[in-house]
Amino acid sequence: MTEVTQRPRTAESAAGVVAGFFERYGAHDVEGMTDLCSMNADISCVPVELWGKQRVLRGDGKVRTVGKPLWAGLIDSFPDLSVTVHTIAGNDEGEVVAQVDIEGTQQRPWGLITPAGRHYREPHLFVFQVGTDLLIDSITAYWNDASISQQLGHHEVD
Amino acid sequence: MTTPAQAVHAFLDALARRDVDAAMAVTDSLITVTIHPFVMKDQGTDVLRSVLADLVRAFPDLMISVSRVITTGDVVTALFKVEGTQAAGYAGAINTEKHLDIDQAWRFVITDGLITEVAAYWCQAQLYRRLAVKRYDQIAIA
Repeated sequence: MTEVTQRPRTAESAAGVVAGFFERYGAHDVEGMTDLCSMNADISCVPVELWGKQRVLRGDGKVRTVGKPLWAGLIDSFPDLSVTVHTIAGNDEGEVVAQVDIEGTQQRPWGLITPAGRHYREPHLFVFQVGTDLLIDSITAYWNDASISQQLGHHEVD
Repeated sequence: MTTPAQAVHAFLDALARRDVDAAMAVTDSLITVTIHPFVMKDQGTDVLRSVLADLVRAFPDLMISVSRVITTGDVVTALFKVEGTQAAGYAGAINTEKHLDIDQAWRFVITDGLITEVAAYWCQAQLYRRLAVKRYDQIAIA
């Protein structure tokens, strides 16, 4: 269910929405994360690309069809997944940038990586666009997938 | 007075011209440099100069296409694509003359018109995939 708020959008309130998003991420509350996003919110997980013989699948799409299963899958594979927010900064246009570390211990397969009980911790940069209704309209995320693979003991460049 | 966004545009414009000296001209001598894909956190202009020079040397036809510049106070975040054709070793990968296109995000902190901190984010898996590297533990073997 999408929350509607009457607070005006300012740099502080936009940053507050993003802080709430990461609180819910750390609590493994995928529904709650999604509730902070507009119905048609976009997501781009820049490092996600699966190369097939004739096409490349990328981590671009909608929060509800790409983001939500990705977050749920990550939490399922890393049941102790935790989120450490280092910085969150916004502006009055609703642009918010967050530096975040995500870490967890693998218990189930993640992509092509079989579980070996290894732990990873990886810095992420998230760029959000928060709308005037204080719902997240877009999320773009950057991280280094090679580092995660190596920390989990997977050394093939897939 | 140079604004934070102007400083970052000057840096990126210079890098797009492959002019490392001009890019370094808008950085503070004690700049903190974090290049996450290289697991590098260090301080000083020599560090950043080396990162930029390696990139320009390895990809002499380097292109920088900036898609978004976000100013949040003294912090400026730039989203851009790096493209080029490999002509020398880079990040441990031997030259196989492959084309590179990588989306990156660089977060800058600006003080008194100079860049005092930079943190770079991109996916090294994408980079190695494009440079025909097969294994992370055998990067120099294509």
